[in-house]
Amino acid sequence: MSTIETLARLPRATLEFANVILTTPDAQIGPSPREVVWTHRNTTLYRYRSSDRKHAVPVLLVFALINRPEIFDLRQDNSFVQFLVAEGFDVFLVDWGVPDDEDSEMGLAEYVCDELHWAVRETLRAAGEEELTLLGWCIGGTLCAMYCALHPVGEVRNAVLLTTPIDPSESLYARWVGHDDFDVDLIAERWPAVPGVGIDFANKLMKPVSNYLTTYRRLFQSILDGADPRVSYQAMAKWVADNPPFPARAYREWITWMYKENRLVAGRLCLRDERIDLSRIEQNLLVVTARADHIAPPGGTVGLLDLVSSADVTYWDRPSGHIGLMAGSQAKHEIWPDLAEWLRERSGP
Amino acid sequence: MRALYEQFESQAADAFEELVSRPSFGVLLARSAENVAALSRIGSDVADLMLRNLRVAGRADVTRLARQLHRTEDKLERLLQEVEGLRDELARERSVNGSQPSEADAAAKLTRGAS
Repeated sequence: MSTIETLARLPRATLEFANVILTTPDAQIGPSPREVVWTHRNTTLYRYRSSDRKHAVPVLLVFALINRPEIFDLRQDNSFVQFLVAEGFDVFLVDWGVPDDEDSEMGLAEYVCDELHWAVRETLRAAGEEELTLLGWCIGGTLCAMYCALHPVGEVRNAVLLTTPIDPSESLYARWVGHDDFDVDLIAERWPAVPGVGIDFANKLMKPVSNYLTTYRRLFQSILDGADPRVSYQAMAKWVADNPPFPARAYREWITWMYKENRLVAGRLCLRDERIDLSRIEQNLLVVTARADHIAPPGGTVGLLDLVSSADVTYWDRPSGHIGLMAGSQAKHEIWPDLAEWLRERSGP
Repeated sequence: MRALYEQFESQAADAFEELVSRPSFGVLLARSAENVAALSRIGSDVADLMLRNLRVAGRADVTRLARQLHRTEDKLERLLQEVEGLRDELARERSVNGSQPSEADAAAKLTRGAS
């Protein structure tokens, strides 16, 4: 493109760029039809029915506490949920909801031993099955790993853990919050629900230039070049900006147990007086890490492979980022079909 | 020109990532978080005090009420699970004894959301 042409396109591109940014909150995410199966407090269990169900074992999707689970169903034609439903899976999703001050006493035990346990129970009742697949992403994966360790035999046949922090001692987060100067008790006492915007700010601060400059520069550049990135940009930007608060107790436990004391991998983490021993995990296990993941680097996950007792363990390391792994433009051509294949082989009656 | 800018941006990104990965930045972040938390709490307490003096329910009152609702919901959930467990048990026993399924058995198969 010549300089004159670029200059001529500049005013329109600027207007279009501003419009894309300003109308992002109006973008539609989570387009797939779903029904409410069960609710408790803020937690909701949704079901995405397949009209052509081919696999007996239902899939229960579990996302992190710090973002909304719509990332599994981001937009039309780029939805992992729609992909699984089209593949013939009965898909369920746990939505942790948006906690507030009154949920300050929700700790990891409440999430794993109550909410997740009951969601598993309700999934099986609704699907009319004895076993399911737990698919956890980010902190959701860690919660699933804890659940599998507590219930090695029974309801969970397969466990899929995506970019899951297990031993985060070498991560950037650990450098920020793992030292004694970071007083997690003070934060948790002053904020009954730690604001999601603060956690989002910290996440973005890990790659400040990429998140605060490069993203917008690339958006502007692609508009200037004549592309139409509105739909894809807005869906992702809206999801990224939607950060529910972290209940104070869960936040305190997550930071202390995972980043300050690294209890999970050492087998010293207890929920309601029951020790989480990762070597008790016996389910068919798929662990996926992302090479460019700065939030849960692969090194903090692969240790799990040596700890578990599962006879069927699969490990994939993919060249993407923490979220791009499953929601990037290439995900539906690369990892989704592989995941469906892995699940298909282990979801028979 | 664009290539030159992108090179600069890439170098800046590396430099900033190096900066934020230093322990001293972690300390700075910790202090900032504590200060923001303290300011936020002071603001919230003052606003709540003003509302209380005006005899209007403040955030603390709403939170207290919501907690009571949560406790009731917890009890209800556990009760429902007990009832469902008993229904399932009854349905199993009836099927073992060979009796016809009743309306209660059919209801037991319904999901909580549907019922």
